Amino acid sequence: MIEFVGIFVYFIIALALSLILVGVSFIFATKKSDPEKISAYECGFDPFDDARSRFDIQFYLVAILFIIFDLEVTFLFPWALTLNQTGFFGFWSMMIFLIILTIGFVYEWRKGALDWS
Amino acid sequence: MDLLFYLFSSMTLLSGVMVIQARNPVYSVLFLILVFFNAAGLLVLLGLDFFAMIFLVVYVGAIAVLFLFVVMMLNIKIAEINEKRLRYLPIGGVLGVVFLFEILLIVDNDLIPLLFYNTESFEEFKLSNFINWSENLQTVTNIQAIGNLVYTYYFYFFLMSSVILLIAMIGAIVLTMQKGIRIKRQQVFLQNTRDFAKTIRKTA
Repeated sequence: MIEFVGIFVYFIIALALSLILVGVSFIFATKKSDPEKISAYECGFDPFDDARSRFDIQFYLVAILFIIFDLEVTFLFPWALTLNQTGFFGFWSMMIFLIILTIGFVYEWRKGALDWS
Repeated sequence: MDLLFYLFSSMTLLSGVMVIQARNPVYSVLFLILVFFNAAGLLVLLGLDFFAMIFLVVYVGAIAVLFLFVVMMLNIKIAEINEKRLRYLPIGGVLGVVFLFEILLIVDNDLIPLLFYNTESFEEFKLSNFINWSENLQTVTNIQAIGNLVYTYYFYFFLMSSVILLIAMIGAIVLTMQKGIRIKRQQVFLQNTRDFAKTIRKTA
């Protein structure tokens, strides 16, 4: 756990720096707001409609497929570290795991799930 | 160390409350990400550094993004949420009390023995010359412990997880694929080998 001290120091410095950057400009900047300044705009116009509109479900599909392959890579890390101890049994169990997931990958590829119209 | 534990756990509880309290669903997903970060900090304090990193990669990197997609797809207007604040409180409160009693059933004195421990007698107990076995242990990092167990002793569950992932993948594809959309793909070889002298023709 002692190796995380560096990350902890990094977090403290990042927190302090961001607080300074926001806080100093909050304290010392001149604030004269008028309705034109504080109103919402997009590219110089008034917003046309709500930003929360429906969008294509393909984004969702890409995210789900990303999670699945993310988990697959997660399983690869401990396997790669302990391959000299688990031997051939560990090797082949991982190979079967990868083959089963590759079946899904081939299905996805042939089905054209990641192609955009 | 204790200070860090109290910091992370209180931040987890606070942002967990904010997840269900925030009016904008996008804000509650962002508070959920804060919960994940603090839980990863708690896992680091427990010494489970690999789990903490995986927690960040999988939960923050992937599942939180998925939650954001779901929230945006649901298309909830903020005004609708304000009215239904306490509508689900009775059934939710009953479920919460039930879970609290389940926790109280599990956590008895066997799990937290040091709470009522007489520390002075423990010091005398330690001074007597016993072998301190904890110093003689060979320490294994938890990523190695996982690797030694999952791919050998628990390979059956490991392969079951791959089947579950396969089902999730195929299910997501089947549910979201729209039929009848003509997708134009590039066929690089055919496009490059096409003879332009034959494709352009002069008609009378």
